[in-house]
Amino acid sequence: MIKLLKIELKKILTYKVFWILMGLYFLFLVLGILMAGFIINSWIDDISKHSPIPFPHVIIYLFPDIWQNITFFASIRFILILPAIVVIILITNEFTNNTIRQNIVNGMSRQEFLLSKLQLIFFISLLITIILVIAILIIGISNTADYSMMIMFKKISFAGGFFFQLFTFLIFAFFTGFLLRNTGLSIAFFTLYALIIEPVLYFILKVPKLQPNNISRFLPVNSVIRIVEYPYFPVLKKLMGLNVQEQISLIDCAVPIIYSLVMVGIVYWVLSTKDL
Amino acid sequence: MEKVLSINGISKKYGRIQAVNALFIEIQKSQVFGLLGPNGSGKTTTLSILLDLIKPDNGTFEWFGKPPSKESRKRIGSVIESPNFFPYLSAVRNLKIVADIKDKPYDDIGEVLQIAGLYDRRNDHFRDYSFGMKQRLAVASALLGSPDVLILDEPTNGLDPQGIAQMRDLIKMVAQKGITIILASHLLDEVQKICSHVAVLNKGRILFDGEVRDVLAVSELLEIAASNMEQLHDAISHYPGFVSIVKSEGKWLIYLKDQIRPAEVNEFLYEQGIVLTHLAERKRTLEQHFLELLNDNS
Repeated sequence: MIKLLKIELKKILTYKVFWILMGLYFLFLVLGILMAGFIINSWIDDISKHSPIPFPHVIIYLFPDIWQNITFFASIRFILILPAIVVIILITNEFTNNTIRQNIVNGMSRQEFLLSKLQLIFFISLLITIILVIAILIIGISNTADYSMMIMFKKISFAGGFFFQLFTFLIFAFFTGFLLRNTGLSIAFFTLYALIIEPVLYFILKVPKLQPNNISRFLPVNSVIRIVEYPYFPVLKKLMGLNVQEQISLIDCAVPIIYSLVMVGIVYWVLSTKDL
Repeated sequence: MEKVLSINGISKKYGRIQAVNALFIEIQKSQVFGLLGPNGSGKTTTLSILLDLIKPDNGTFEWFGKPPSKESRKRIGSVIESPNFFPYLSAVRNLKIVADIKDKPYDDIGEVLQIAGLYDRRNDHFRDYSFGMKQRLAVASALLGSPDVLILDEPTNGLDPQGIAQMRDLIKMVAQKGITIILASHLLDEVQKICSHVAVLNKGRILFDGEVRDVLAVSELLEIAASNMEQLHDAISHYPGFVSIVKSEGKWLIYLKDQIRPAEVNEFLYEQGIVLTHLAERKRTLEQHFLELLNDNS
């Protein structure tokens, strides 16, 4: 099992494009996290203007809500798209360099090829999540004056939720790259779909009368994004009533799981039955 | 003899084109087996099927007496089509990936790079190699971990004369180690120089197969003449193994079955009271013979 992951890591260890894009992702992530407080407070200022009572500024880096706030900002579409592009490049490289054929010829089974890519996606997701968790702990500890273990880890399930988001989103990217095989085309299609087409579809489908059984939540990218749907701070609860997310909902995870299983199933079928 | 490969009636169709048509081949250990045929005769498709890149429509094949699997492919080194490596990795890193997949240690990497003449450039990126070097790296990769079988698809394609000579020497050296070699080529001359056995392919079918000297070199002619040409004609028609006769430049050209033994022919005719004034073996050129094989069957 671990052998396949080792092979995949050898493929990326000295691959500059991989490291540059991952570096860019972490840069955006850090900027996102640092700007998050500023963005939210300017948002609150905005609301305060139209409200008889002004709302006070919030600190979003406090335990336990920091888990939710930082994973929320780390998983907005524009930031999540970067590791997705990395995955698309890694899979389409196999086709443009014909190395998928060479791997098979050398004695990798077609199913092992799929497994090796899934392991790599799992590994990348896990690595990013671990780095994020460390960042959350550091930022949280330095901002929260008074905390107990209970409060500190109360919302750690958001770290799991973030990992799940990232993993399923990267599976979507893998699926796109595998089917289209061309790097530029796959990136263009995936970016266009995730950042523009689906938000537009979401908006169209979310017409008020459909609200109770809103089908927009079944759109693939949206189903992933809404796992950590909102950041959380006490004032938001006052603004929006009781409908504010406070925990990861396992039911929300079902839709991305089904999408991922179908996509991996299709890739498995194509690999097992088609010529390479 | 140990059977390395047996192909039992594999076929593959692309739309209307029958790329491979009910192919049967058996290859024994230590043979240098040539797949000879013009472009589009089904050589690459056949090799791709044998390496699980293409699924055959019909038929089966066995490597080392077992159904094909990833384990059998680990015992095979192959150079198919263009060299396929990660352009942004060095030769050594590319070969480490190959070794990992094949479950082989890294110890051989230096040696195969030396054989391929790439040792000094081993840490350069694959994309910085010339075409000849890329091709040689593909051979080095195929030789990694001492394979039992080496598959080469048009290994000298696109190489300069010096590169071609080096490649052929390399193949001969590998053959001497007792490694079974399967070589696809459209160059008759190449197959004749390197191979011990050959299958001539056209339109996905085998026209002829066997030992190279039987298939490609046996068609010899005997040129004879005597003072009485009519008498000679009658006498030779009764020779066992006689096939046909034509007149050419005042001499009879005779085609005989099996191997030609001039001494026997001479003795036979002498017993009939004919003294030959001329007796010579003549070989048809290989190209003529190859084209004939293709024409007779198309």
